[in-house]
Amino acid sequence: MYQPKLGFFKMYTSEVGLNPNVGSWSWLLHRITGLILVLYILMHFFALSSSVGGPSTFNAWLANLQTTLTHILEIGLAAVVAFHLLNGLRITVADFFFLTKPHKALFWIAMVIFAILMVITLVVFLGRAFSPHH
Amino acid sequence: MNGKAGKGSAYGWLLQRITGIFLAFFLILHFQVLHFPKEWKLIELADVSQRLGHTGWVIFYFIFVPAGLFHAFNGLWQVINDYRPKAGTGRAVKTVLWIVGIVMSVWGYYLLFGPFRQGV
Repeated sequence: MYQPKLGFFKMYTSEVGLNPNVGSWSWLLHRITGLILVLYILMHFFALSSSVGGPSTFNAWLANLQTTLTHILEIGLAAVVAFHLLNGLRITVADFFFLTKPHKALFWIAMVIFAILMVITLVVFLGRAFSPHH
Repeated sequence: MNGKAGKGSAYGWLLQRITGIFLAFFLILHFQVLHFPKEWKLIELADVSQRLGHTGWVIFYFIFVPAGLFHAFNGLWQVINDYRPKAGTGRAVKTVLWIVGIVMSVWGYYLLFGPFRQGV
């Protein structure tokens, strides 16, 4: 099968451009959220490695990382995780239970759950981000 | 494109889904406990050590660390593979990803059973 070689971004955007439907968009978003999470896991490991320096070093690192800004960013992280998780479960369910035909309906079910989770996350944690830790 | 997928792709596909199912549950729990805890206080090493005093949490992280890393790097490989690298380049990238994944797993276990569990 011949496929023309495309540029770094065009390879992905062309797919969505040729097939601008739910399947293509969810595929693109799954790739993007996945890459964000790979970067996050590397930073996560780096921050946790401060534990090698003992409790005071680790606690100082973590205190610096638990600011209002990072707590707001955590809400973004929750959104990235929730999308990747729910869309991933949709792909797995479609693959394992031969449900590729209703994959669009499954996507919208996943997105309803995503919206509910994000509303709860915002309501509960937006206030917390601006209040000091105990 | 040579069109040959090979067994490796099928195993990668299956393991990506199996680790994904594990991670779906593990990540919700991990996220709830550490990023959005019930008690709004700064996370400190003593809290982590206390939690790792329970065998259940040790087993949890023992699976979570390699499962997460496999899922991350296998997923990254799938993205790279979309660009159809040449066979040699693909093998080299895969080898690097495996090495990084294994080294990070070992480092994760060291942190888990060393500084985190012992709290020193």
